[in-house]
Amino acid sequence: MLAIEYFEVECPEPLGAAYYKQITNDVLLDHNLLRVISKLHIFIDPKVPIFVAVGTLKKITSVVRVRDFASANPVSEKITLVISDERYLAPMLKIFWQKFGKDKVEQPDRFTVVLYNVEADAREIEDLVVADPSESLFKDLIYAFRLIAPEGFRVRSEKFSKEKFSFVASEDTLAEDLTTLISEKFALMGENP
Amino acid sequence: MTLVPVTYKGGIYQHDVIIDLIEDLGGYIVQKHIIAAEVVLQCFIPHDDIELIRRISKPLFGEVTDSPLVGTEIAVVSMSLEIHHLPHPSCDFAEYARRIGAKTNMVSPARGPGKRISQLSDEERDVINEHDVAVLAFGNFESCIEYKWPALRRGIEVPIIVMGGPDTETLKRIIHPAAEGYVGNVGRFMRRGKTEEEIGILDEIVAEVTRVVEKKREEIAKDPLSVSPARLMDLIRENVPAIHDVTSPTPLTVQMEGLRVKLPYDTFAGALRKIEIEDGITIADVAEIVPSRMRDYILVKILPFSETNTVV
Repeated sequence: MLAIEYFEVECPEPLGAAYYKQITNDVLLDHNLLRVISKLHIFIDPKVPIFVAVGTLKKITSVVRVRDFASANPVSEKITLVISDERYLAPMLKIFWQKFGKDKVEQPDRFTVVLYNVEADAREIEDLVVADPSESLFKDLIYAFRLIAPEGFRVRSEKFSKEKFSFVASEDTLAEDLTTLISEKFALMGENP
Repeated sequence: MTLVPVTYKGGIYQHDVIIDLIEDLGGYIVQKHIIAAEVVLQCFIPHDDIELIRRISKPLFGEVTDSPLVGTEIAVVSMSLEIHHLPHPSCDFAEYARRIGAKTNMVSPARGPGKRISQLSDEERDVINEHDVAVLAFGNFESCIEYKWPALRRGIEVPIIVMGGPDTETLKRIIHPAAEGYVGNVGRFMRRGKTEEEIGILDEIVAEVTRVVEKKREEIAKDPLSVSPARLMDLIRENVPAIHDVTSPTPLTVQMEGLRVKLPYDTFAGALRKIEIEDGITIADVAEIVPSRMRDYILVKILPFSETNTVV
């Protein structure tokens, strides 16, 4: 949990809070989201019932480039790419096909891609941006919080911006004015909504 | 002759000797698994002959262990089949209980999760009532369990074991009307239990289920069944060849007071009723044959001695 600056679960039942802290940790760890959250406060009151998660996000500037998972070796007119991580292989091939045409791209095996007579040197190819993980970030976060929140809490109100987010869920109709509650929880972390 | 449920584990070499021996002694084999070069037999054997089987199986490196859950069908009721509740902890327990001989089924209400919105339909209730014991897996909050318990237990007639996040003492305090068994500290969690403590909890659940099952066995012993379910299983296996074509892992599931036959009711119920047990007594004389709420299976409910006045 070192990656998170502030992480608290508030609940009238202390044992429930401990369980939910563990669940939150497991879910965020599984979805690789601990690196994007900087502060997180969760409030659950099963008597109301309500689940509130508020937090701040870290800036993610890192995009995935070809060099992060492959190395390019130019030999005369062809460039051979040796792939170390297959996760971004498909988007990379798509970009190559678009840029150079399918006839110039060949994949003899799982971990090798060969480019023939392309108008780019090895360095340029290594610099190509393949994916931007922040694109699907909000989707991933919302999915993760849906998993953390008790399953019956299906009435949701969520607000996600580049820096902050709030996620409120309940099984009953939500109160019209959630802002007070949300700001209270933000204040506990020393933040403004 | 009292039959006791045991598990036999041994090598595949000459395991048919053991099978023949069990059958000759008047025992019944409920399930047989062949895993690589190992054979696991879940069976009922006469109490006095356990030592004999141990002695004969010794040169074959066979091992006979008590498994009180053999011949029971347990419903593990998870509040939903969503990733929130599965595979941990419901499947953890279901799988663990299978290893020691129980037949576990996962049952999940369509609208189980939540506090106020949680409910159980009549079909779900009937399916749970077809089992010997139900293990209800609740969540982490005591106020939530306290609130939804009366709605979920309504109509369930089989003994219930409650599994939940609060500790056992708290569960006992909040659950009204009382359940038959309680296991605390096992609520909703979303990772595989690997530590000794987490696996220890599974043993605790098994111990509690065993206690409840033993109690039910004692109740049944006061008014014994007209025929042993394992005997009926053998009879059906001999007389209804279609059962051999069923691909389900246990085409005939032995329960404490009956049997689930995984054949269509309309086609086979008549044939089942006519099977003769001995001296002209048919299955219809000692058992009720009813359609199961689970798919189109058949449920054989064996009647007690007090109703039939016969024991075969």
